[in-house]
Amino acid sequence: MIVKTVIVRPELCVGCMQCMIRCAEAHSQSKDLFSAISEEVLAKPRIHIGVGPEQRPFPNKCRHCEPAPCLEACMPGAIHPDMAGALKIVDETRCIDCGMCSMTCPYYVIRYYPDHKAPGGRTVAVKCDGCQERVAAGLIPACVAACKTEALTYGDVNVAMNQGTDRLAHVASGVAGS
Amino acid sequence: MRYVVVGLHAAGRSACAWLRRLDKSAEIVGVDPKPAPAYARPLISHVLAGEIEPELLELKEPDPFAGLGVAVEAERAAALAPDRQVLTLESGKEIAYDRLLIATGASPRRVEVAGDKAGEIRYFRGREDLAAVLDGIKPGGLAVVLGGGLVGFKLTHGLLARRMRVRLIVASPRPLALNVDEYLGGIIGRNLASLPGVELSINTSVTAMETGQERRYKLTLSTGATLEADLVAAGKGVIPAVGWLTGSGLFDGEGQDGLPVDEHLKTRAAHVYAAGDLAQAHDLALDASQVNAIWPLAVEQGRYAAWNMAGQPAAYPGGLAMNSIPMFGSHLVSVGAVNPRYTAGCESLAIEPRKGSYLKLVFRQDVLIGAVGFDAAPRLGELAWAIRQGLRRGRIPRTWLENTVNAAPLADATWGLSRNVQP
Repeated sequence: MIVKTVIVRPELCVGCMQCMIRCAEAHSQSKDLFSAISEEVLAKPRIHIGVGPEQRPFPNKCRHCEPAPCLEACMPGAIHPDMAGALKIVDETRCIDCGMCSMTCPYYVIRYYPDHKAPGGRTVAVKCDGCQERVAAGLIPACVAACKTEALTYGDVNVAMNQGTDRLAHVASGVAGS
Repeated sequence: MRYVVVGLHAAGRSACAWLRRLDKSAEIVGVDPKPAPAYARPLISHVLAGEIEPELLELKEPDPFAGLGVAVEAERAAALAPDRQVLTLESGKEIAYDRLLIATGASPRRVEVAGDKAGEIRYFRGREDLAAVLDGIKPGGLAVVLGGGLVGFKLTHGLLARRMRVRLIVASPRPLALNVDEYLGGIIGRNLASLPGVELSINTSVTAMETGQERRYKLTLSTGATLEADLVAAGKGVIPAVGWLTGSGLFDGEGQDGLPVDEHLKTRAAHVYAAGDLAQAHDLALDASQVNAIWPLAVEQGRYAAWNMAGQPAAYPGGLAMNSIPMFGSHLVSVGAVNPRYTAGCESLAIEPRKGSYLKLVFRQDVLIGAVGFDAAPRLGELAWAIRQGLRRGRIPRTWLENTVNAAPLADATWGLSRNVQP
């Protein structure tokens, strides 16, 4: 089964943070940047540009682990898999901001913010949902659409791994590769 | 193959789900006096505080066992005969098993006091306890909470939200003495003291509980003073629920330290496994076996036990204590070894990334073994990963220490701290 996902190549990231902005926009009520910044509950990005080795930017987002420790630790059952099992999604109506999911996530990709989808706009766990709404509408994830350096691409993880192996082999054998 | 799972809470449910996934045709029998509706026990404190509706306690699927094809025996287990591979229920019914999982959890540790009302102390473990505490609430009245640990704080938080005044009585010199260091304990103690409606008594315990005159109960304290209260609730930890296994040879003494298990979560008896709040499993931070009675580990152990029961060897790497609790507008989280009892002689590194926020890393012989955060960035899961990796202090990048809010996660492969990242 081919499951597409967001593939990250940190070495290509220039830290422009466009992915963060477009991610927040895609998760706003209006889906429009200029309207989104004046919404009562501000949408937050699900991808974060962290500071990596030698102060290099590092695009950091949910890996949608399997088995997913956040899903297993979620006491109210707010984190669930999507139909293909490839994404781990937060149900904002069930999340109670208890913090257990981030206690088990090794990647620091679950943050807590007020969210317009939660009852009363209360604080809930906010993480990457694979832009499932956009993908269902035939679009690619917002962070990928925003990335100009191909640090973020959308594709089959097995193909990406093959390409990564090829790049490594090229480097090891002294052949110029992409 | 017949699997029997005794206890259908976090560990038992997890085991049932994985057993079914691993063995589609197996017969799975679940034993629990109150199997449905399935609910998340640790959330009762959120209901007490009025933060969530009681319905949110219940899992999305109220009867997950039907969907998994688990035959449920809705009664209590009474005895186990490992030599015959037979479980006996309270009704006398016997169930033979090929593999059995003990996941009967733990019960609140009882407070020993004298007096005619001693039996009316309310505990805080499951939904029956929640109902009892809610039943005793008297807005404007005085509640006494015994125990300055995490449950004591949850009770205090909830009872204040229900408009009761609270007297928190703690036997140790400061609240959370087993959970945080002196510095953080001081901050929390000061926050507590400034809260309207809360009074803290340290180095104090209750010796007797009798009928009161103006209020329902009259308490005699170890200081000799007396006090009248409308509600008395206690959070003094839990003890493994292994009483029904007396004589089975699965544990030593009275079983207060839980059921010893090996790296495959197998008990001393052949074909019998244990998981959850009674399993004395390996603790990575302490490098010793102990019970860690917390939800995520129960779920994880249920998964490992199921794999081993299904004949697919899975060595349990070990657990870590973890906690996350609201603290009157702040948030306290901890992972690994933070109990001062276990960290004597350890080095620590305190970071204050921003005003009012605190993150402390604890090292034993240069290896990370624990962390405590107070209003810190939510990256304790990452530190739990680092503890599991046995990360050395010198390998934690300076960039990370200088910027704990925005630094890339330690599990990020580009730091070169691990070749194979496992959550």
